[in-house]
Amino acid sequence: MATSYRRIARDGLWDNNVVFAQMLALCPLLAVTGTATNGLGLGLASIAVMVASALMISMLRGIITPQVRIPVFILIIATLVTLVDLFMNAWLYDLHKVLGLFIPLIVTNCAILGRAESFFSRNPVLPSLMDGLMMGLGFLLVLVVLGAVREILGSGTLFSDAALLLGESFRFLEMTLIPEYRGFLLMILPPGGFIALGFILAAKRVIDRRIAEGTIWADSPQKEGAR
Amino acid sequence: MNSSPLIASPHAHDANTVAETMGWVLLALAPATLFGIYLFGWPALLLFLVTVAAAVVAEYLSLKIAGKPPGRFLADGSALLTGVLLALTLPPWAPWWVGVVGAVIAIVIAKQVFGGVGQNLFNPAMAARVALLISFPLEMTTFVEPQPLFSAAAPTLQQSLAITFGSGGAAIDAVTSATILDHTRTELGQGVALDEIAGYDPLALAWGGVPGSLGETSALLLLLGGLLLLWRRVITWYIPVALLGTITLLATLFHLIAPESYASAPYHLLSGAVMLVAFFIATDPVTSPLSVRGQLLFGAGCGAFIWILRTWSGYPEGAAFAILLMNAFTPLIDHYIRPRIYGRDRRGVPLNESVATREER
Amino acid sequence: MKAVAEPSYRQRVGYQAGLLGGFATLAATLLVAGNMITKEPIAEQQRRELLNSLEKVIPTEIHDNDLLADPITVQWQGVGEVIVYRAKYEGLVTAVAYRVTGKGYAGPIHCIMGIDASGRVLGVRVLAHTETPGLGDKIEVQRDPWILSFNGLSWGNPPPDQWAVKKDGGGFDQFTGATITARAVVDAVAEGLAYFEAEKSVLLASYAAVQSQLVVE
Repeated sequence: MATSYRRIARDGLWDNNVVFAQMLALCPLLAVTGTATNGLGLGLASIAVMVASALMISMLRGIITPQVRIPVFILIIATLVTLVDLFMNAWLYDLHKVLGLFIPLIVTNCAILGRAESFFSRNPVLPSLMDGLMMGLGFLLVLVVLGAVREILGSGTLFSDAALLLGESFRFLEMTLIPEYRGFLLMILPPGGFIALGFILAAKRVIDRRIAEGTIWADSPQKEGAR
Repeated sequence: MNSSPLIASPHAHDANTVAETMGWVLLALAPATLFGIYLFGWPALLLFLVTVAAAVVAEYLSLKIAGKPPGRFLADGSALLTGVLLALTLPPWAPWWVGVVGAVIAIVIAKQVFGGVGQNLFNPAMAARVALLISFPLEMTTFVEPQPLFSAAAPTLQQSLAITFGSGGAAIDAVTSATILDHTRTELGQGVALDEIAGYDPLALAWGGVPGSLGETSALLLLLGGLLLLWRRVITWYIPVALLGTITLLATLFHLIAPESYASAPYHLLSGAVMLVAFFIATDPVTSPLSVRGQLLFGAGCGAFIWILRTWSGYPEGAAFAILLMNAFTPLIDHYIRPRIYGRDRRGVPLNESVATREER
Repeated sequence: MKAVAEPSYRQRVGYQAGLLGGFATLAATLLVAGNMITKEPIAEQQRRELLNSLEKVIPTEIHDNDLLADPITVQWQGVGEVIVYRAKYEGLVTAVAYRVTGKGYAGPIHCIMGIDASGRVLGVRVLAHTETPGLGDKIEVQRDPWILSFNGLSWGNPPPDQWAVKKDGGGFDQFTGATITARAVVDAVAEGLAYFEAEKSVLLASYAAVQSQLVVE
């Protein structure tokens, strides 16, 4: 069937974004995005699980019957998450100490089961992989943006401890944007996450409206001449 | 909005406009405010001015962004009042940015994001105070001994500028002092019996010459302002009486059971933010229930939470948290305890009909 | 998107049970494999972390042994079992390190402290705490050098009654707004030192044990 990969990408990253549009996965989102690095870490872990479940479920969709699909999906997702959890514990120990509580919670991330149910189980392998990757990237995008906003406002730094996650060569990412910053604890605590997410959602709607009005980033060429 | 010629019944209206109401509240707050500024000197005045100005500017900018006419909404004085209330709850020698951040949180996040005046779910001043307390625990719990204006120990204007706008660290450290709530809590935590804890002086707490927030120290002056509002019918007695009554009841009860670990009622009534909250914050018409029974319940809930939080929570003062918690309950209270609609009975049946049904029975 | 022709055998309970069972087996296999691969690295990471915290309170110059090699477990009245890690130089115990716990404002404050053979504090570090961020977290060495003020002190220096924060008449600074936190750490360290003084012979006893072991060998 003719699935437009461009459409899938746009859905995952923006139009049907896990957080922006579907409002799923808010629990891990708000809990870990105290720093951009934590957001990145959870985002990468989620992508890994998302893509791997997309692969497995779309490959096996022919033999899974509707009656037992939910337990099978959960079994697959839970196995993958546990593996990610073990591997992170073994090789990204310091990051695992920070994210540890939330890695197992990826299982309960409704977004993955939701995609398994609505996309992976109904589409061939390649589009499913694409969808898993894009949905995961969309989630990662929100995690990093929210983490960055909260980290800058909350502690005046950006990507602190990035070297723990990505290795020494990425130490250049670690920035102190506001030296001698006193810290604004509210932003690092969960209420700050809600407030920042609220403002980011508002910003997304403003951008969407501007796009619809054609004032920025006109997607359809015929609108460009309008103004 | 007045362009519509449509006029609906009933034709009862409130004599006070929003601006007049705000004016009366500000007037009622004046004694406590002036006393606080006198008591804590120039730094308190500077902080007060900065906070109020920041609130008004934040309101102006929010209205601009939202595309509302700033002039008309600013004239209602609600931003001014929020700024004043917030300033009164701050430690008097707090640095200027505490006031500014608090004012922005109060106006932008707690008020304008919800749709502006009359739409906010939470009391803006209390939301800001809680946010500040969580974010800047050090600045928000650094209280000073009273240094009345023109007294020998009071900082000069120049020193005060350094305290509020610069790094007045050394000057503040010299005169820091715990509030009675803080002090009592720390000592109780160490197992000291209540009657051995020094420093509790009901008289001083009543007139207000003690360390504390800018405008919260004088229980008597706040009570005076509250009575003025009651007399002008800006507020009704239901919430303040229910609030203070519940605290009195709980405190007395536990004090009688175990006097060595539970403070007495006067201690709770005269300390911290209780008086300010009872008359000026809990009575906020936007964030409190509409019906009389709802208001009594709301006031009692605030009082109970204040006492519970003070007694068992991690914070020495729980007034702001209590107000926010009960604000969150307000829609629920209004859902279950509805005010009687004019011309109808409690169940919403028109009065003459309900009389008729009763006669039929 | 309807599934293509559904073969009838797939409707049977046996097929469904087999399917679930198959996936459960697959999941179990994968997890066992994952566990086997990661078991060693995880244990190694945990070991390294413990070693890291020990090395902060015991300088490397004073020992030539593996700090984790032969810890002893002692009974500590009112606390329970405490694991004592020992630093040795040429078989002699030069320092010990163990965990002490203070009663903080918002929960226990877990610290690790190192004490040399003469009873002086080599270092104290907070391992975990739940104190108010911005107030009580000054006990972390990354935020405030306060915790270093214990270095070099012992149970006689200052005298036992001076092991308290200034507010309680002792010799240690407290933090503005977080007296309880500082008090908890001071008390915990004092308790650790008092214990060392009382049980010195047991803690440093390994000397004789080591000697006898050498003789046997």
